[in-house]
Amino acid sequence: MACQGLQKGETLASLKRECDNLKKKLEEERGKLNDVELHQVAEKTEVLGALSVKTRRVLKGHGNKVLCMDWCKDRRRLVSSSQDGKVIVWDAFTLNKEHGITLPCTWVMACAYAPSGCAVACGGLDNKCSVVPLSLDKTENLAAKKKSVAMHTNYVSGCTFTNSDMQLLTCSGDGTCALWDVESGQLLQSFHGHTADVLSLDLAPSETGNTFVSGGCDKKANVWDMRSGQNIQSFESHESDINCVKYYPSGDAFASASDDATCRFYDLRADREVAVYQKDSIIFGASTVDFSLSGRLLFAGYNDYTINAWDVLKGTRVSVLFGHENRISRVRVSPDGTALCSASWDNTLRIWA
Amino acid sequence: MQNLLCTNPSFSPVLIHNFSLLSFIYSVALPRMSSKAHSSNNIAHARRTVQQLRIEASIERIKVSKASADLMNYCSEHARNDPLLMGIPASDNPFKDKKPCTIL
Repeated sequence: MACQGLQKGETLASLKRECDNLKKKLEEERGKLNDVELHQVAEKTEVLGALSVKTRRVLKGHGNKVLCMDWCKDRRRLVSSSQDGKVIVWDAFTLNKEHGITLPCTWVMACAYAPSGCAVACGGLDNKCSVVPLSLDKTENLAAKKKSVAMHTNYVSGCTFTNSDMQLLTCSGDGTCALWDVESGQLLQSFHGHTADVLSLDLAPSETGNTFVSGGCDKKANVWDMRSGQNIQSFESHESDINCVKYYPSGDAFASASDDATCRFYDLRADREVAVYQKDSIIFGASTVDFSLSGRLLFAGYNDYTINAWDVLKGTRVSVLFGHENRISRVRVSPDGTALCSASWDNTLRIWA
Repeated sequence: MQNLLCTNPSFSPVLIHNFSLLSFIYSVALPRMSSKAHSSNNIAHARRTVQQLRIEASIERIKVSKASADLMNYCSEHARNDPLLMGIPASDNPFKDKKPCTIL
């Protein structure tokens, strides 16, 4: 029936009206609590001096654009993936390449280190995310032991292990995020709500419970409950694709980087954007963000080949890191906060400290 | 309206009155739909959106002043343990160059 599902008096028009009313109410409720700006509250905080951070290592070895990287919990190893299908595990102290995996697909856009340090996950244009156990035997062909875990209907743009090696969370160009059991490859939960490609996700710090945030081409950042699959909160203030989302260390807030050349900071308990990191001189899109250990600094990588360090509280730029010769695809602070690693389309990774 | 009634085999004559009213509103309020699937998708989608917005509108929120104060507290509590912020001596940072050591 054409009218099937309509309740008495309910029409598409009335549902649309309720939608608009609810959206207005949401804005009003959020606005009521906006009594002061974050940077105003932060006026009494000390101004930060310029950072004495320089390039300490340059990791050369990829033959094409490096698209993603992730640190191991041991604070010295890291995994990186590139456009030519190669995934490399490095010892960042010695620059030694410990493992090399060749995938049959190009554009490996996502890679992650398992919490145990014994495996890595990677995925991209093959629409899959696979887990590869790392062997101590250097002669072993790791690609042969690769296990497909996640299956999407479009490219995989991001992946992360949850608190153990047993579960993998992925996001994809098919507009969904999904939670998988690594052992069986079973889909445990799927997350629907984005209306375009999802480009990034980040898991909440373990103390704050089972949620994660995702951002995508629909300009929205959504916060999800991992158990129920429910979209808990949604933020839409960016003017273009959101390329990266990252939680603040306390888990009460998150930052996002977008093609609109701004990075933004959202507080989850106030349910609104509380800061925008932008400058008239910055006109290229931001592709990646990460916080320093205390959350005071936000490192953001841009398509103009630079990394900007922002004072999260005051909203001002503290430093600019130059060195890469092409776009920055990913920045990540090491687990103990001693260094920043950046991956770039110039085929290299840099360690800054 | 005639089309809607004709294409529906399970239509019950008892409900003519209600359906006429709804169909009338439907045809006046919206452009005529070309397929039944398209219109029920729209309704399902609108319902889901309303449901989602209801959830979002009902969450508890705190004032930005309180949220900001908490963020600032977190930063100051952890600032001294933040190597990139404070800068740590070369001897403590494995990435910074130390004096060369002799290999025995």
